Amino acid sequence: MSASVARFSAKQRAEHLVTMLVFTSLCLTGLPQKFYGGAWAQRLIELFGGIDATRWIHRFCGWTLAALTLFHFSGAVWMIVEKKSRLSMVPTRRDFEDAVATLRYYLGLRDHGPQYDRFDYKQKFEYWGLVVGNVVMVATGVVLIYPTVVARFFPGELVPAAKVAHSNEGLMAFLVITIWHVYNAHLNPDVFPFDSCIFTGKISRERMAHEHPLELARLEGRAAPEGETVAAHAERKMG
Amino acid sequence: MRRALLWLVLALGSGPAWAGIPAEQDDCLGCHGSDPALTMDLPSGEKLSVHVDKTVFGKSVHGEILRCTDCHTEKTGYPHDSKPFATKRDLAVAYYDGCKSCHFANYTKTLDGVHYAVMAKGNLKAALCVDCHGSHDIQRASEPRTRISQTCAACHPKVFATYAASVHGRAAGGGNQDVPVCTDCHRAHDIIDPRGGALSARTPDICGRCHTNEKLMARYKLSTKVVDTYLKDFHGMSATLQRNHRPDRRSFAAVCTDCHGVHDIQKSSDPSSHTIQANLVQTCRKCHPDATKEFPKAWLSHYEPTPQKAGLVWATLVFYKFLIPFMVGGLVLQIALHLWRVVVNR
Repeated sequence: MSASVARFSAKQRAEHLVTMLVFTSLCLTGLPQKFYGGAWAQRLIELFGGIDATRWIHRFCGWTLAALTLFHFSGAVWMIVEKKSRLSMVPTRRDFEDAVATLRYYLGLRDHGPQYDRFDYKQKFEYWGLVVGNVVMVATGVVLIYPTVVARFFPGELVPAAKVAHSNEGLMAFLVITIWHVYNAHLNPDVFPFDSCIFTGKISRERMAHEHPLELARLEGRAAPEGETVAAHAERKMG
Repeated sequence: MRRALLWLVLALGSGPAWAGIPAEQDDCLGCHGSDPALTMDLPSGEKLSVHVDKTVFGKSVHGEILRCTDCHTEKTGYPHDSKPFATKRDLAVAYYDGCKSCHFANYTKTLDGVHYAVMAKGNLKAALCVDCHGSHDIQRASEPRTRISQTCAACHPKVFATYAASVHGRAAGGGNQDVPVCTDCHRAHDIIDPRGGALSARTPDICGRCHTNEKLMARYKLSTKVVDTYLKDFHGMSATLQRNHRPDRRSFAAVCTDCHGVHDIQKSSDPSSHTIQANLVQTCRKCHPDATKEFPKAWLSHYEPTPQKAGLVWATLVFYKFLIPFMVGGLVLQIALHLWRVVVNR
């Protein structure tokens, strides 16, 4: 039995890489515009060559993110139509149960965490958070680039509302990624210092057995393991 | 008896206006103070009056302080050789440096000013110290303050007429001391060329000096949040950040004067105002040529969003005010619980 399992396709890895680069650039060029009164913000804007250059980079990256989101959606639609893939990202009732079970386990009200399939509820939450965030950011961003066109067809108040939404949604995305994603992909004791699987596309069988036992069982053509397994650290010493 | 005493006091107190002129002046004024028709012929054909009105000089700010030779330094005795100035203007230009020996700071400031720059290019009409302040009749510049604008009007009559019809100019004309006169925005000595863009870039500060002053604005029931609301929005942010990068005006985000006007500022309820509802689209079109009727609503007119004023914007603000702490707090809590579990399991 091989020591590692293929988890992400080349397309998925490329999508992550581009998203990562574009998202970082958007934060670096966007946040100093939100907090432009700060000295750090003005220094950062200077570094990009002034506000006009900063804004150009921001818009270029924004359009790239929009194109990437569309590309990703069309890929997903194609897969659904062709039934090439299981809809492993769709949130189910099971995910809510898993979330409750996990919190109960953290609080010591259960002896084990739940068994996860291909994506656990935290990963689905982050994925859909990013999807919804992208849609909001792209839509409001376009409104801010073309305020006169928008005001021709919609109430003018949509423009300042879009600015508030863009600015706050952007800040929230930044906070969620720096706190939640950096924890889960880097600081989490299970993967510290760096979960490389989205870059290499491979995950060790051992981690699969702990983190995605249901998927591993399906891949290996056997029934789901009896009982409940938990992550490596989580073997609770009873008694 | 009492009335006689009053007359005596008045007579002693008032005296002749030139009473305080230093005694040395008498030598000069012996010739120059007596005959109002005393003139000199200049090569240009102009007649230069060399008469000094004692009363006027005595009442001027220098009357009791300066001797004639403090400014006319080359006139050391009698008879004195007259410098061969071709024109009256040459004479005035030659005396430009004269003020420097006492008023060095203001003199240096003029060297950065647009008038000096124009003069350095050879235009002798540009304003010198004496053109604004006078020579033998110099008074405090600020008494009354509204006289300052009249002084500028001598050379800039068209722009003065526009200013005089504006909300500020009309009030100034009526004796209001709160409103800006020319020098409040343009400065007095280091006046910069307003076409350069640097003055425009300063307008939020310039207008803000009065329009953020609570006490002053309360008198006119005007909001003091106009600068803050401007700076919070797209134009204010862009203009602030562009200040260091764009000396040209063409692609510079709007500042106060771009919407409200420069010398023709009116109350936004005035039918001729650039910012009255009916004229707003026109004003927006100066920079956004394809703006339509709804477009001015994209700017909240210096209002802070409230459920009544901009319900959608307010609702969006409130939504994120709750969502962000809820989201971030929830995730941090989950991380904390997870770490706690890891520690407990060890």
